[in-house]
Amino acid sequence: MKKINTRFGEVEYDPDNLLHFPAGLVGLPSLRDFIVMPNKKKGPLFWIQSVDNPDIAFVLTDPTNFFLDYQLSPEESEREILQIKDGDDVFILSVVTVPQDQTITLNLAAPILFAPTTNRAIQVIMENSPYSSKTLLPE
Amino acid sequence: MLVLTRKIGEGIVIGDDVTITIVEMKGGNVRIGIDAPRAKKIYRQEIFDRIVKENRDASQWDMIDLDKISDSLTVDKKKK
Repeated sequence: MKKINTRFGEVEYDPDNLLHFPAGLVGLPSLRDFIVMPNKKKGPLFWIQSVDNPDIAFVLTDPTNFFLDYQLSPEESEREILQIKDGDDVFILSVVTVPQDQTITLNLAAPILFAPTTNRAIQVIMENSPYSSKTLLPE
Repeated sequence: MLVLTRKIGEGIVIGDDVTITIVEMKGGNVRIGIDAPRAKKIYRQEIFDRIVKENRDASQWDMIDLDKISDSLTVDKKKK
C-alpha cells in the first residue's frame, strides 16, 4: 500500500488497483492514475482522487441514472486505448461539477468510457451532441 | 506560430499522416478539409476549450457540498 496527502487528508491506496486514463483527461493529459474512493454517503455520486496531482479530484456519476436514453459506444481507436475485446463491458460515467451553491451539473458533452475488465478509462468529446457540458439534473 | 498563405484547393501536410486542404472561402468563413487517421482526435477549438475549462472547474470542490448533495439525492429517491 502507498499513501498520498490530498486536500481531503491522507489517502492510502493499492498501486495495483488504480483507475488508469492512458491519455489523461481532456486538457489535463498528465493526470493518468486515480484512486476510486469508497462512498461515504449513499447515492449515485462517487469521486476519484488523482495520484499524479494530490490537489485534484473529480466527482463522477453514472449519467444513465438520470438520463435514461443517454448512450455512447466506443470507437475502434478508443477500444484499443481501453484494451478491451468484443463483448467486454464498457460503462459511461460523467464528470460532475459541484459548485458551492450545490446546483450540480453533469458534463454530458465529454463523457468518460470505463472498462472494468482492464480498469482503464478515457474521456471523449462528443462534438455533434445535443448535450451540454453543464447539464442540470432533470427535475 | 507558423503562418502560411494558401489558395483554394491548396493544402498543408503535417507530419506523415495529416493533410489540411482549403476547400472554400465564403462570407468570412473558411471551409477546411482534413485527412487524418481516425484515431487522431480533431475538435473545433472552442469546443475543446470548453471541455478543458469544465474539467478544471470540476476538479475543485468541497467535501461538505458533496455530502449535502448526496444526502439530498438520496432523500429525493426515497420520496419517489
